[in-house]
Amino acid sequence: MHMTKLRALAFALSAVAGLAVAATVRAGDLLVTGAKPDRLYVIDAEKRAVKSEFRIPGANGIVGAIIPSPDGKVAYVVVNKMESISGIDLKTGKEVFRADLSKPGERVKNFFALDVTSDGKELIVYELPTLLKPSEYQVEDPRFAVFKTNAGLHAKVSRSFPAPRRLHMILMRPGGKTFYAIGFDLYEYETATGKLVGTHGIQKWQLPAHSQPDLLAFWPVTEPTGVFTSPVISEATAGGAAALKTGMMVLDVRAGTLEFNDFEDTSALIFSTVLSPDRKFAYGVYSTLTKVDMASHTLAKRVPVDHTFYSINVATDGHEVYIAGAMCDVGFYDPTSLERRANLKLPGCGDQSLASLRVIPAR
Amino acid sequence: MSIGAPRLPWMSASLLALLCFAANAVQAAEAPDGQALVRTYCSGCHLEHDGVFERISSIRKTPEGWTMTLFRMHNVHGLALPEEASDAITRYLADTQGLAPSETAPSRFALERRPNAKDLDLGPDLAQMCGRCHSLARVALQRRDADDWLKHMHFHVGQFPSLEYQASGRDRPWWDIATKELPPKLGALFPLHTQAWSDWNGRTHREPTGHWVVVGHEPGGRDLVGTADIASDGKGGYTARYRLRDTAGRDVAGDSHALLYTGYEWRGRGALGGVASREVFALSEDGVRMSGRWFDPEHSEDGGDWTAVRADAPAQVVAVLPRAMKAGASGTVTIVATGVGPASSVSLGTGVTAKVVLADDGVIQAVAEVAADATTGTRTVSVGPAAGTGAFAVYRKIDQVDVQPSYAIARVGGGKVPPVTAQFEALASARDAAGVLVPLGPVPAEWSTAPFDAEAARTHDEKFGGSLDAAGRYHPAGAGPNPVREFSGNNTANLKVHARVADGASRLDGESHLIVTVQRWITTPIY
Repeated sequence: MHMTKLRALAFALSAVAGLAVAATVRAGDLLVTGAKPDRLYVIDAEKRAVKSEFRIPGANGIVGAIIPSPDGKVAYVVVNKMESISGIDLKTGKEVFRADLSKPGERVKNFFALDVTSDGKELIVYELPTLLKPSEYQVEDPRFAVFKTNAGLHAKVSRSFPAPRRLHMILMRPGGKTFYAIGFDLYEYETATGKLVGTHGIQKWQLPAHSQPDLLAFWPVTEPTGVFTSPVISEATAGGAAALKTGMMVLDVRAGTLEFNDFEDTSALIFSTVLSPDRKFAYGVYSTLTKVDMASHTLAKRVPVDHTFYSINVATDGHEVYIAGAMCDVGFYDPTSLERRANLKLPGCGDQSLASLRVIPAR
Repeated sequence: MSIGAPRLPWMSASLLALLCFAANAVQAAEAPDGQALVRTYCSGCHLEHDGVFERISSIRKTPEGWTMTLFRMHNVHGLALPEEASDAITRYLADTQGLAPSETAPSRFALERRPNAKDLDLGPDLAQMCGRCHSLARVALQRRDADDWLKHMHFHVGQFPSLEYQASGRDRPWWDIATKELPPKLGALFPLHTQAWSDWNGRTHREPTGHWVVVGHEPGGRDLVGTADIASDGKGGYTARYRLRDTAGRDVAGDSHALLYTGYEWRGRGALGGVASREVFALSEDGVRMSGRWFDPEHSEDGGDWTAVRADAPAQVVAVLPRAMKAGASGTVTIVATGVGPASSVSLGTGVTAKVVLADDGVIQAVAEVAADATTGTRTVSVGPAAGTGAFAVYRKIDQVDVQPSYAIARVGGGKVPPVTAQFEALASARDAAGVLVPLGPVPAEWSTAPFDAEAARTHDEKFGGSLDAAGRYHPAGAGPNPVREFSGNNTANLKVHARVADGASRLDGESHLIVTVQRWITTPIY
């Protein structure tokens, strides 16, 4: 549902009031985020104003991972206590796709692991099913379920194949022939057949003198570089004394390369990260905004932020860093100084919680 | 009347539960005996085979455990269960599929909702697999065989699929461990069939009715002494009437209505001194002693330790108050005892002269005088034929102060979840001639807090966390993001709690560690 123009204008004005308006007007990105109980927001990043506020039907309290279609027209959103995927047209707010994963007698959860093929025609969804028998539950093996994105509001699984337990991320590779799945390890599967074509170490990584790493990535951001990054924490055991290290996992989804590099003795929690368009820096957020020099693998800068934020993204041209998630505001930060330029409070002030913050480039 | 069960409004039924219930709903109006009610309300899903109900008959639990199960059936599965039926089913299942006293003994702290209790130590595997979300006492208060523990693992992941993603879940093949290693382990530790249960279940248990002497202690607060009269209510429950007196000599009246589950699990609701109270007591196996804890139903951390002994029990000293006197001091001593006549003689041991001034229904008051040269040590106390060692001590000087609990949790409060306070107590002890520490009981103290470490000082935890009152109770601050705090942080804190105790001209210090943390959103009868 659209907000009225008047309300939109009011929010736009309140967002810029008291702030230094960006000096140059660019052909800006759109930001997409969600909030409790059922909201999807499209934000004009240059105006720093809510462009559209939509209601997701049957969201049932929480809005999770957000996956934009390759053409940027539709956002596929995990809703309904992780049991449904709703496709929302980002111009009209209309629900154009719906896959309710559960059915009578079987409850299916999706832990934010899903992606859309690069042609936009299929959605790969990780499913954790449980049979609800009258006097007991029976946990079933997880699976990948494939939906056709043109299947409308009652989408049924078009094919499915087995998946490992505890996945939390699916990332389509360009061309759509294979996709990555992140869980205990990094797996690569053929999209058509579900055949496992490769496994790379995460939990069983081979970094010398390090403990098993801890990585929990629920923010499926690969824009603007096509590279997925995530903070990784492990214990380095070099020299006899164990020390917690924070590193970056860098998965180039296009090139198919995977790297891990420590950049500091752990001194702050980081929930999610994003790589700058020139790939020179990564930005991470939780209760601080962190900038990592990706060439020297060092902490470049860190500033406190005014509350915890879970999700982060960066402008397509790199001129601004955006932070969101957790509570009900979106912060706009200078990528060099990490100073806050603006803060946009979302109308209604519902918690964004684990909702993704996605950037859709201007077209 | 419900004793242990929290109540929630009726929620819309799931189709599944509705179907399950509908199969037998017609019988609901008929005879409300326990098994018939289980048949009526449960067997639509938990099919009955020759008197054995799927799942239900494979499990033994405490009254609280069955209450939680029925609550889940209502809250998650939409079972429409009238309160009377719920209470009757809880009672039937706790009586016929409960735990023996020896089986609940190590875990009673969980039933009694003792604040800052230390959980069971069942080894690192179970601590990480189970104890990271709930107490291990909650596990140990259930009995199943391996096949049902396996079904319990399926329930866990079916109900809480985030288990595999959480810290200490995602670092291991959680599901493999949960389904392959844990069921045989738990089935061996906590099996369905035990000698203890078959012995207890086959016995006739003594009714709690009668006249009792009572001692109660509220940490940081009062001692209570007096009597209890327990009578049958004629409907399968009990009424209790308390006539107590506190440390300051004030009368404290109280009453309670209780059910006795499993032949020994006393669960009462009532009031003590005009304050609402819940009672979680256990009768000893011979039925002559009842012990446990009472607490405020809204603030389970507020409460006290309770001991009651049948007045007609063999002569014994139950308690002496105060627990210690200093050499050269004089004052009134209260002794709670059984089997003592109205004009009993009293002895408080070597170096103490004592004379009975009042002996009323098991509560004896004496004037005592401790010799100036009396030595430090415990004393044998006798009143008429009753005697006891260890309940009373004499000391020359306090040698040590310990703050209990040594590690405490308080929780910020606000909105729907009230704060959880933390009560500290300064416990004194003195060394006897052999250098052995003799406990002297709680003593008054000056209370203060300090930052636990440099980080706590930097983040001004003392300022934001809350305040410690003169009686050693910490009152946490309000919950939620605090805009004037770094990162708009919650009012959490990491503090040292100091007690300074005066003993003549000397000052002795004790210390504890307090964490003020976030709210607990789900309050279950067993954490």
